[in-house]
Amino acid sequence: MSEFKKFDQRNWVKTNLNYKKDPGSWAWILHRITGIALIGYLFMHIFSLSPLSQGRAAFNEFMSHYTTPFFMALEWILFAFVLFHSLNGVRIVLVDWADGAKYHKALYRYSIVIGLVMFFAMGYVMFSHEIHQLFK
Amino acid sequence: MYKHQNSQGSGSFSWVFQRVTGLILVVVMVGHYILMHYTPESGHTYDAVLARMQSNWYRVLDLTFLVLGMYHGLNGVWGIFRDYKLKPWQTITIMSLLIVLGLAFTLWGVKTILDIPYVQTSTSELLVN
Repeated sequence: MSEFKKFDQRNWVKTNLNYKKDPGSWAWILHRITGIALIGYLFMHIFSLSPLSQGRAAFNEFMSHYTTPFFMALEWILFAFVLFHSLNGVRIVLVDWADGAKYHKALYRYSIVIGLVMFFAMGYVMFSHEIHQLFK
Repeated sequence: MYKHQNSQGSGSFSWVFQRVTGLILVVVMVGHYILMHYTPESGHTYDAVLARMQSNWYRVLDLTFLVLGMYHGLNGVWGIFRDYKLKPWQTITIMSLLIVLGLAFTLWGVKTILDIPYVQTSTSELLVN
């Protein structure tokens, strides 16, 4: 029988935090966190769109809660999660299927830059109405 | 039977399919975001949804999006659990929970989409109003 190092439950967090992380490790960690958040959001999304079955008045009343600035800001943060998961997902596919292992760190940096640009572009699209009000 | 449920098969199909569904989801997500945020109304009012849902193509697209998204998400969650050494009873519990939750919410979403009525007015008229 081979000898396995006993898994140290108590120092699990400490061990993980001390482990040296390169961009790939961060990508892996963030891909999981955003992924879990997104499947959680999908469940909420199905719940929050279910009043569609109850007709126009009920749905519009229900949706009025989600068009407040607070929820719009949350939607913008959600877009950051979607962006990271999408761009890093494409990076994963390139690493697996297109020799991306040779340039995965560069891909990670490009993803961050493209992601930031798209994040602020989407911020403008989502809040354009409010921004135009400000500069009237 | 299997000593550990998660040692069945190689999992290579779900590995490939996770990437395939992921790429499809990225493409559909671009369209979804354009549709939902082109104007504040396009994603958040009943009439906009009703107008879109007059087309069966939109219904099929949304159903595909829903099913693929749910599969990709829950398979991803399962992939995270698989990284840890699970006891057989934990495997069975988590797997059942994911399948039951996934099926229930997928069916709820499918019902929501299919419940939206077809109205007599033409799509263009609805958009104008």
